[in-house]
Amino acid sequence: MTLFGIAARNIGRNKLRTSLTVAVVAISTLFFIMLRTVVWSWTSASEFAAKDRIATRHKVSFVMQLPKRYAEEIAQMPGVTAVCYANWFGGKDPKDENDFFATIATDPASLLKVYPEIKTSEAEKQAWIGDRRGAMIGDSLAKKKHWKVGDKITLAGSIFPGNWDFNISGIYTTTTTNVDRATVWFHWDYLNESLPERSKDKVGWIVSNISDPGASGRISKAVDAKFDERDLQTITMSEAALNQSFLGMFSAILKAIDLVSVVMIAIMGLIVGNTIAMGVRERTNEYGVLRAIGFLPKHIAQFVLGEALVIGIVGGVVGLGLGYPFVNLGVGRFLEENMGQMFPQFRVQPQIAVMAFGLALGLAIVSAILPARKAASLQVVESLRRVG
Amino acid sequence: MIPISYNVRSLMVRKTTTFATAGGIALVVFVLAAAMMLAAGVKKTMVAGGRPDNAIVTRKGSGAELSSSIENNAVSLILAAPGVKKDETGTPLGSGETVVVIAQEKLGGAAGQVSNVLVRGVPENVLKVRPDVHIVSGRPAKPGTDECIIGKNLVGNYAGMNVGEKFELKKNRPVEVVGVFEAGGSSFESEVWASLETARSSFGRDGLVSSVTVRLESPAAFDRFKATIETDKQLLLEAERETTYYEKQSQATALFVSVLGWVIVVFCMIGATLGAMNTMFAAVAQRKREVGTLRALGFSKFNILTSFVVESVVLTAVGGLVGLIASLLLTFGHVSLMNQASWSEITFSFSATPGILIGAIIAGCSMGIIGGFLPALKAASTSPIEAMRG
Repeated sequence: MTLFGIAARNIGRNKLRTSLTVAVVAISTLFFIMLRTVVWSWTSASEFAAKDRIATRHKVSFVMQLPKRYAEEIAQMPGVTAVCYANWFGGKDPKDENDFFATIATDPASLLKVYPEIKTSEAEKQAWIGDRRGAMIGDSLAKKKHWKVGDKITLAGSIFPGNWDFNISGIYTTTTTNVDRATVWFHWDYLNESLPERSKDKVGWIVSNISDPGASGRISKAVDAKFDERDLQTITMSEAALNQSFLGMFSAILKAIDLVSVVMIAIMGLIVGNTIAMGVRERTNEYGVLRAIGFLPKHIAQFVLGEALVIGIVGGVVGLGLGYPFVNLGVGRFLEENMGQMFPQFRVQPQIAVMAFGLALGLAIVSAILPARKAASLQVVESLRRVG
Repeated sequence: MIPISYNVRSLMVRKTTTFATAGGIALVVFVLAAAMMLAAGVKKTMVAGGRPDNAIVTRKGSGAELSSSIENNAVSLILAAPGVKKDETGTPLGSGETVVVIAQEKLGGAAGQVSNVLVRGVPENVLKVRPDVHIVSGRPAKPGTDECIIGKNLVGNYAGMNVGEKFELKKNRPVEVVGVFEAGGSSFESEVWASLETARSSFGRDGLVSSVTVRLESPAAFDRFKATIETDKQLLLEAERETTYYEKQSQATALFVSVLGWVIVVFCMIGATLGAMNTMFAAVAQRKREVGTLRALGFSKFNILTSFVVESVVLTAVGGLVGLIASLLLTFGHVSLMNQASWSEITFSFSATPGILIGAIIAGCSMGIIGGFLPALKAASTSPIEAMRG
């Protein structure tokens, strides 16, 4: 029988304690998977951002607007292939004012050109472009609200007062996860024609397609330089940088999650280390016998570490086994459907699973180091004398 | 009944195990208390901005000042409404304000990191409408100039935010900081207050305000005021008591923090309970003879059961107390969080309420009860003869 075999056998001696410890390791693995997936889900939007898109907004603040002619001027610039402008509308369902979904006014034809990942059928696309009051809605929102193509819906404007009627011309889905699937897109013209003279012809942001992704920095600078001497200055950045700047606003939360991950690892380390130390203490006698018949201190240390390793492996496997269905089928599905804006995709990533498994092993081994050293340094006579 | 000192001494015999288990519990209680204190702090900071005898008027359906806009001529109608308090000269006490968010460079973080700061354009009499706001250094801004005063949380945290320094509202439109104010710990302390005209012209909002805040003759005058404002269907306005308004504004952020906190705490609590269970099982196994002796001496099964549960609770209560005391140290610190209603950063502090303190202790003890029950049951069911035989 190998040393490792003996270590593994030892685990079976106190089945209850072993299963409790395995449960602790499994829960920390599961929790770690969840926390990291939250962070990944938040940051993934900027990873998946299209490289060939740049966004322009008011330099001071994204709540301020730009004249629509800026979009036309950007479209004339070299390297820019298509331009789409949009306004945040802030519509709410009058029947459920607390239900948040994005409502954005835009130019339909250019939106679909600039965002090829927004997929809809050709018929629905033409219907939308042709209907001034038409709206294109995301499939997850349609499912949640039970809205169908052809329905008439009324939204209450929070920024633009009054009740606004829309006809649902189409339902879109997306091929990538960086585009929200719960947005109501509608005609910018419909919004604009209803506004008082002073508020007319303004847009919230402008997104441009560029022919060469490598030139995004240069073109962004050129756009900002163009408007620098005008009344309203702009700030232009790549889609990834834009997403990241939004994320920056939640940096305190991300920091808190990182901190909590560390605290949680400390808690679990204490618990696992404690359990292993208890086992060592109870077996002091045996270790004395083993030493007396010729085993070296390093063998004793290997017994203890081997035992911890097995607990780590089993706990990690159980944690992963629970984590996949729990995140992918439970929490993830719920978050994607109900909080799609914040968590467009909430799935366990292979690299996170590997990290979590590594954590389970690492946690078990690190917490066993002290007990292992203690066991290895026992005096043979002392340990034989000790009872219980 | 078996004296508690027996349990305390038993715990002291196995010092290392006791400290490791209690340490785990302490960390869990610390995280729990910190999350709840932050959620309470968010609420406290937001609600502190409101007075029961102030009312805030926004455009109907806008939900928050940031997306609201009110025409100038409506402002005078609002100020003329019944229930609005007047000063000694007979001028109504009301303040039409315009609210904008600007991106400002943050100090102390990564280079070039910007964060959103709320800028409020305020009329001359704003300090009369908000008597809780006091200048703590420098002086009030001269009306109608490019001077501004800033909340004390901004000082030193953003570029140009110090008395005597300047920053740009927009390109080539610098404003000078002349004073710093405090506002009873409310979210105003994370805002810039500039003159209404400066803010309007810098942000192209001439002729518009975001909201109108009025002092009422008394808190009871609110219903009369609200009725007058909201019956005028042409105006499409909505009046709310300031306290209600700010409470609504804080809900999203406070909920987010507490949900996140609870998820974390539930997981950690399960882990720590299992840890306590392990420790207690080991204690029971080790003291099998002792338990047998106690039974032989005449202590009932129930005595043994309670004794071990008590021991487990003592173990976790000590841990819980340590964690709680550590978390109280957090009340000296603060955190900057994004407020989801105004899209700007507000500095919050941790706020310890009696409810949180009691809740944290209960959570600590319940981990002891749940973790200790099964081992105690095992101890209680020990047959005295078996146990003493070893």
